[in-house]
Amino acid sequence: MFRQHVRQLLSTYCHDELAPTEARRVAEHLLVCQRCRGEYEAIKLGIALMRELPTAQAPDTIWPQLEAALTQQTEQTAHDTAPDIAPVHVASPTATQTPRRLAPLFANWARTAAVSFAALVVACLVGGWFYLRPNAPSWEVARLAGAPQIGRERIGERGQLAVGEWLETDNNSRAQISVARIGEVEVEPQTRIRLVETRPTEHRIELARGTMHARIWAPPRLFFVDTPSAVAADLGCAYTLEVDDAGRSLLHVTMGYVALERGARESIVPAGAACATAPGTGPGTPFFEDASDDFLHALAAFDFKQGGDDALKIVLTEARVRDTLTLWHLLPRVDGDERARVYERLAQLSPPPDSVTRDGVLHLDEQMLTRWKDDLESKWLPESFPAVRKAWRHLWQ
Amino acid sequence: MEPVALMSDRQIETGVIAACQRGDREAFQLLFETYKDRVYAIALYFFGGNEAQASDITQQVFLKLFTKIAQFRSEAEFTTWLYRLTTNACVDEQRKVRRLSQLDETFTFDQVCVSEAQEAQLARRETAERVKEAVAELKPKLRVAILLKYFEGLSYEEMAAALGCSKGTVASRLNRGHKALARRLQHLRGALRQGD
Repeated sequence: MFRQHVRQLLSTYCHDELAPTEARRVAEHLLVCQRCRGEYEAIKLGIALMRELPTAQAPDTIWPQLEAALTQQTEQTAHDTAPDIAPVHVASPTATQTPRRLAPLFANWARTAAVSFAALVVACLVGGWFYLRPNAPSWEVARLAGAPQIGRERIGERGQLAVGEWLETDNNSRAQISVARIGEVEVEPQTRIRLVETRPTEHRIELARGTMHARIWAPPRLFFVDTPSAVAADLGCAYTLEVDDAGRSLLHVTMGYVALERGARESIVPAGAACATAPGTGPGTPFFEDASDDFLHALAAFDFKQGGDDALKIVLTEARVRDTLTLWHLLPRVDGDERARVYERLAQLSPPPDSVTRDGVLHLDEQMLTRWKDDLESKWLPESFPAVRKAWRHLWQ
Repeated sequence: MEPVALMSDRQIETGVIAACQRGDREAFQLLFETYKDRVYAIALYFFGGNEAQASDITQQVFLKLFTKIAQFRSEAEFTTWLYRLTTNACVDEQRKVRRLSQLDETFTFDQVCVSEAQEAQLARRETAERVKEAVAELKPKLRVAILLKYFEGLSYEEMAAALGCSKGTVASRLNRGHKALARRLQHLRGALRQGD
């Protein structure tokens, strides 16, 4: 795979101009090739920068000047005078103004009936163009069971979900969405999903309620899911996301990593881990689902029920080596004595690297926290997948 | 910035162009109104935001187009012809005004210095200003490719036809253009919207 770098294909890939098999090859290569991924980030930045340029409207003064030049040409043609005519130029202190040579044009300019007819044709054509103009971008939706709806219409075996439209399933319906060419989303019953945005550098949906399973084979941070209490940013992975009627959500990651974000609060959730979110709070602290029941209940109380010190004590006591995922995330979420206690327990379970000091961690030195996280990461992924772990570490960085 | 919608129905173009070829000025005006903003936008950003120069190029392009339209045969797409006229006009003009562009750059720089101290709402305008400057400094071939892509929303095949080159060359020019912009404006990454 490394023999076939994809740097030359990256703009084509971002502009969705590659055949599906080729696009998939590029996406898979980007997951494992840091060098190409660096180029991909540059291309994405270039595309994002170009999108910052506003559209421009030509000033109304151009047509009268153009028309004057055309009329001048017509009159000269009629009088069979000199063939050279200079265009009427817009005042421009910097533009170089060069006379243009016009060929004879309008042999029969005064055909009033023809002009009227042409005006009518023009009006019809403009109207027709509005009906025929290109539609908004959309994703294909396949019916898996029941009668999923897009807007108010039930889809048949397949439908198209356009930007801004809602896909809704009832108690008996399920559907599968093709996410551009980068993945798939399975939609469970009682779910409401809206396509918010789809463009080369960002694909975004809103999960208002229900359950979805995502499998994404694109580079990190290309696919986002907005929920009422956080945004799930794909880091190249497979996961399940549930949202209840109160706007709370629960994320289970089955492969790779997902970042849950709201404002400055971020939780990085690796495979095998989960994370809850709640309106007003945002992402809670990620945890492994095989932690003890006491640990899980105490963490939920700490994150969302103001469980305070009592809950924290249980979390620290019950934590295993693998639960350093939770403790590492807790460091910036507590302060004072609580942070010191979290540090001590974390250091007891997995001593920090030599370059990471207690004082630095308690002051939330970003580089030290990152170095410790890099060291801890080996405890968070199954030992049986060293290659996967290495690849995901590259992605995270 | 969204690409401007294309007048894609070939029959519409054919009907209007036929009327233009008969000397119908109403049809000329329709054609002008349909495409003026696209031609203007390409010229505007090709010349680093110089509005007077963009107006001048737009006028030149349509004068040439109306002059030659009797010779236009519908084997080719009208838009391909129009964009070729536009890009050629820009590149030709660039050769003539290379010296003067430096004055314009200095003026723009002064404006940027003033706006840097302003509030966040102006930050986006400033980002656009920097992008505009960076685009204007790309090599003409890369600049034209980038502008056709983002202001006309052309496919690689359409761009190849308009530029008279292969799709591979289009892809290569876009790659180089994007990377050059990213290199020059790396520091603006944080200023862009989330997800971009």
